[in-house]
Amino acid sequence: MHIVLPRDASLDGHLVDGAIGYLTLTTGIAFAAALGFLLAALIFHRARAGRTRGHHTHGIRSRDRALMFTVALVMFVAIDVTLALRTSRDLETRFWRYPDADPTALRVEVTARQWAWTFRTAGPDGRFGTADDVVTLNELDIPVGRPVYLKLRSRDVVHSLYLPNFRTKIDAIPGMTTRLWFQATETGRFEIACAQFCGVSHYKMGGLLIARPEPDYREWLARAETDSRLRYDQATATGAWDWETGK
Amino acid sequence: MTAEVEASDAQADEIPPAPKGFLRRFVFSIDHKVIGRQFLFLGLGFLAIGGVMAMLIRWQLARPGAPVPLVGKLLFGPAGGVISPAAYTALFTMHGTIMIFFAVTPVLIGGFGNFLLPLMLGARDMAFPRLNMASFWTMFAATAVLTASFFVPLGPPEAGWTAYATLSTAIGAPGPGQTLWVVAIYLNGASSVMGAVNYITTVLRMRAPGMTYLRMPLTVWGFFLTSILNALFVPVLAAAMVLLFFDRVLGTQFFIAGTTPGAGGDPILYQHLFWLFGHPEVYILILPAWGIVGDLLAFFARKPVFGYRVTVGSLIGVVVLSTVVYGHHMFTTGMSPLLGESFMLLTMIISVPTSLLVLSWLGTLWRGAIRTATPMLFCLGMVFTFGVGGLTGLYLADITADMYLHDTYFVVGHFHLIMASALLMSLFAAVYFWFPKMFGRMMNEGLGKLHFWLTFVPLNLVFMGQLVIGYEGMQRRLYDPSVYDFLKPLLPLNRGISHAAYLLGAAQFIFVLNFFWSLAAGARAATNPWEVGTLEWTVASPPPHHNFDRIPIVVRGPHELSHPAARLLGRDWLGQAEVIEPAPAPSEPAGPAPAPGEPA
Repeated sequence: MHIVLPRDASLDGHLVDGAIGYLTLTTGIAFAAALGFLLAALIFHRARAGRTRGHHTHGIRSRDRALMFTVALVMFVAIDVTLALRTSRDLETRFWRYPDADPTALRVEVTARQWAWTFRTAGPDGRFGTADDVVTLNELDIPVGRPVYLKLRSRDVVHSLYLPNFRTKIDAIPGMTTRLWFQATETGRFEIACAQFCGVSHYKMGGLLIARPEPDYREWLARAETDSRLRYDQATATGAWDWETGK
Repeated sequence: MTAEVEASDAQADEIPPAPKGFLRRFVFSIDHKVIGRQFLFLGLGFLAIGGVMAMLIRWQLARPGAPVPLVGKLLFGPAGGVISPAAYTALFTMHGTIMIFFAVTPVLIGGFGNFLLPLMLGARDMAFPRLNMASFWTMFAATAVLTASFFVPLGPPEAGWTAYATLSTAIGAPGPGQTLWVVAIYLNGASSVMGAVNYITTVLRMRAPGMTYLRMPLTVWGFFLTSILNALFVPVLAAAMVLLFFDRVLGTQFFIAGTTPGAGGDPILYQHLFWLFGHPEVYILILPAWGIVGDLLAFFARKPVFGYRVTVGSLIGVVVLSTVVYGHHMFTTGMSPLLGESFMLLTMIISVPTSLLVLSWLGTLWRGAIRTATPMLFCLGMVFTFGVGGLTGLYLADITADMYLHDTYFVVGHFHLIMASALLMSLFAAVYFWFPKMFGRMMNEGLGKLHFWLTFVPLNLVFMGQLVIGYEGMQRRLYDPSVYDFLKPLLPLNRGISHAAYLLGAAQFIFVLNFFWSLAAGARAATNPWEVGTLEWTVASPPPHHNFDRIPIVVRGPHELSHPAARLLGRDWLGQAEVIEPAPAPSEPAGPAPAPGEPA
């Protein structure tokens, strides 16, 4: 059996994989040590003829207590504290540092509903809710090598945008705006899924993320904008909200 | 001491007469032993129903869209025996609800808590026997309402056992089924709080003379601390249910957001309320299991608990910490960074008392004379699954790893290793261990051991398999994972997990057979078949209506096994209330004398 994570196509996904790998290694060692001790006790200290009594101790000598607390503290520092420091650093320098000030970031308004995703990108005017917006259903088109900055809302129940190949997910919640950013490092077609159970057809609430090289993306965008202008209808603009106030 | 003896004599005079008449004895009984058995049978019945639901869920994941064999036509007739997406949704919703609220809670807390607390503390009954009866019948009413929810228009509840708003409001679940679910959970909670108040008072006020807090068996500590958490946090769940009920029935908007941010109610408020209860709930269920396993490991290793005070301190530490960690269920809701990191760190701190607990178990086993009877096998199995389940919790406490693993089968595998495996193991250990005291007959050892191995192995295959498919990215609660291309390669693994699950399910028939056969024709149980010193083993099996002819006077802790002084008595244990005749000045000590300061 070959156990693998989905292919990582993101700039920061290796940080997630690193945390998972570190945990697997350290907790694996701790578990193996405890299991070894347990099996040794079972092998050597089983009741048998000539050995019907245990060693009468309450384990309350200072040596016993020191041993227990030392092992627990060493484990806590080696596994938990080390990991928490590392995670805290990654969150503050990468995952939670949103590209608000980055003019190159692709901004996308995501609207979730039972059971579909709508992605809206501002056109060349950089403003949402205008005639050059590009709106796609269950398809998110992005360029490789630029941050993608999503803000999400839900129109009915809680959903969760899940990108397995980018190692991330974020809930879309009615009455709130949530956000997420990531950056693709590879071109390709990747699956989008809903992770939060959202009703009977939850399992069908998938979509496609298409990552293209910058020139191809621009070409796609130009075509999509033309289509949008041709088909623009004031009524469809109501699906947007204002990016700036939607914090 | 004299005063205590007099008090005990006074109590001896007021033995209440045993009730006569069928209804008073077996139905509306106020005897904690009868109520305990009522909870036990109710819970085991629902455990079977929840288990069948698990089998149906596994069938769908192994062969999406294939007709269910044997029972398919009966259960899913209109769909030609196929589980529809709506039926699948109802199945996992009710599987979770039933297992947590209507199976494990009544068996472990209602059943064993009731039966054991007065017997282990040296009391004649609970502090409030009538409240105890009310607790059972409230639970019974809850099960009736829950059962009714299957048979209403628009179908059974379908919002998952967590019933997140707004899916659980009229927006996502318009039918009356979800409303009945809310009422059933509320009644279930009321039953739990009645039990909790009773248990706390019983431990505080009904301990036999000499039964100090640090002489209580760990099982009692487990139930005591669980009751404190129940009394504090089940009302939070009840509050969430009341608000949800208002939203559904009266048209309020506590959890329903308005059309613009900031207006109307807040669906996240529901998650806060639910997990403020929901995370302590995990400990509410596992604390009695920890207590039972702590005691039984000592009993069957023939050694005192290693570091009793450290263990009790750890249990209390977990109780305190469990109240401030619930936010790790909500890392993906975009919570504020300060809050997120605080919850991460607090969650990780829980690993300190938990590892102390595991170290105490290992220390207890070391240099023991381990007897591998059936209850002990289940305890050892519990230690194993709890180890895997506990350590995988760290992955979900870490915000970075949780971004990927949240809402995947990794979560399902993790909490089933705790809630299903570790809990089920200790639950079976408790049944095998206290069955003789409850019913006066021994269970069959051979069948018990067979049951253990056919449970332990498939159980780990199922839930560790779930960890693997979650690691590979599969979300929970998917009707048909093959909708996604990246999940298609996981079908063989899913099928393997399902086959292990069927084996696990089938193995439970051995338990059912053993249980009922032993009930009818098992060997008569002696007063103290396991040769241990806690008070319930000083009374007949099964105990008389009033438990104790004379209230015992406790003189030592619960785990005096392989005690040097017991050698003179020709055995290796001392009872908690056993007074040893002062031995004629020993010329040579029979063994190393207990160090000063040890709990004698």
